[in-house]
Amino acid sequence: MPECGSALATISPALLEIAKTPPMDAQENLESLMALYQEGDLDAATTLIHFISPKLYRFFAAQAVSRLEADDLLQETWLRIHKVRHTYRPGEPAIAWFYSIARHVRVDHYRKAMRTTIREQELEETFAAGEAPAGRRDDLAALLAPLSQAERDVVEMLKIEGLTLDEVARATSSTVGSVKQKAHRAYKKLRKAFGSSKKRMEARR
Amino acid sequence: MNDREINERLNGAKMPQGPNAEVLGRIGASLAESMRPVHPLPSRQLLAGGVASICAVVALIGATGLGFFGIAKMNALERLAVFLALGILVLVAARELVSTMIPGSRRRFSSGGLVAVTGLCLATVLAECFHDYQTTHFIHAGLVCLGIGLLHAIPAGLLSWLVLRRGFAVDAVSAGLAVGTLAGLAGVGMLELHCPNFQAAHLLVWHLGVLLASAGLGALCGSWASSRK
Repeated sequence: MPECGSALATISPALLEIAKTPPMDAQENLESLMALYQEGDLDAATTLIHFISPKLYRFFAAQAVSRLEADDLLQETWLRIHKVRHTYRPGEPAIAWFYSIARHVRVDHYRKAMRTTIREQELEETFAAGEAPAGRRDDLAALLAPLSQAERDVVEMLKIEGLTLDEVARATSSTVGSVKQKAHRAYKKLRKAFGSSKKRMEARR
Repeated sequence: MNDREINERLNGAKMPQGPNAEVLGRIGASLAESMRPVHPLPSRQLLAGGVASICAVVALIGATGLGFFGIAKMNALERLAVFLALGILVLVAARELVSTMIPGSRRRFSSGGLVAVTGLCLATVLAECFHDYQTTHFIHAGLVCLGIGLLHAIPAGLLSWLVLRRGFAVDAVSAGLAVGTLAGLAGVGMLELHCPNFQAAHLLVWHLGVLLASAGLGALCGSWASSRK
């Protein structure tokens, strides 16, 4: 199955260059792309889709959801992004804006899933049918399993996606202090979980 | 196990594969259908100024109708302390409300923290300024003030929501709590302009009660809105 890397070849080379620049410039370029997207530029929108989607997809997939469900969440997120694209304020971190909407979509999704028993049964069937939920021992979702949802979000954005404390705080609608506290708690839990699994492995040897 | 080892383990974890090109193509196609230019929201300062002005106007209109008996009875120091505190708190609450309506905004307080800070600041100012500890007609006079305050808080909240209707609340409960707090401050402001009852218990329970009831009402509305989705 073709992955997003090959799909990058289908978009305008100039815009692709913008999206592929180093991290310090990446933020400014994302902001420029967002400004173009707000002006109705389809190329800019396509570049954003190809640049941001893998990050958002990882964000959803790290929550131990099936591939199918991560695809659905990604599509739903883009529809929501498109609907509220006017709420992006030029000059503010675009990445935090994207993650903020993605979190909202995911919360909505789980709220609906919890309300609907049928939906829950469907989810169980999906997992039972082996739709490859990220559940293997070394998968990111499995490693982050001991954490609460909020802690998982913080660790994933901070350590995997490389967002700054300020960007994570913005994306999670909380303060920098609260993000630091969640990261600290998460690492405490991970230390305990990884430490005990390390001991078990040593004992087996 | 130290933090570096944890980072190494996380970075070495098997990452989920990205979305396939077909999904990205589908997303692109669905966006292309409705691609048109949009106007970004006005600046935060403008929006915050707009909602803060609404609160001030609602409080002034209410007091104009019912009479400025409260402010007339206060001395200069009390006027300065009470209305300066109210003014600052309205601006802080307006800014936080705007932040709840723009995704990815920087927050200085959580919405719960905003209610707590606002309530504590007002309680401190009122307790410092007014030292009449009688409780004459506590319930009756209190219920009247609570009713009048909420009657002014509700339109202030609705008008603020109207100004921010183009925004997008990623957390409807938090946004509801923030709009309720701001609207509650409009109600308290109106009561401070109008109500000549300066008994400390009356002010701390019933005037501040308007703020708390309004914040609670806002959170309930937010919760209802998010459950309807």
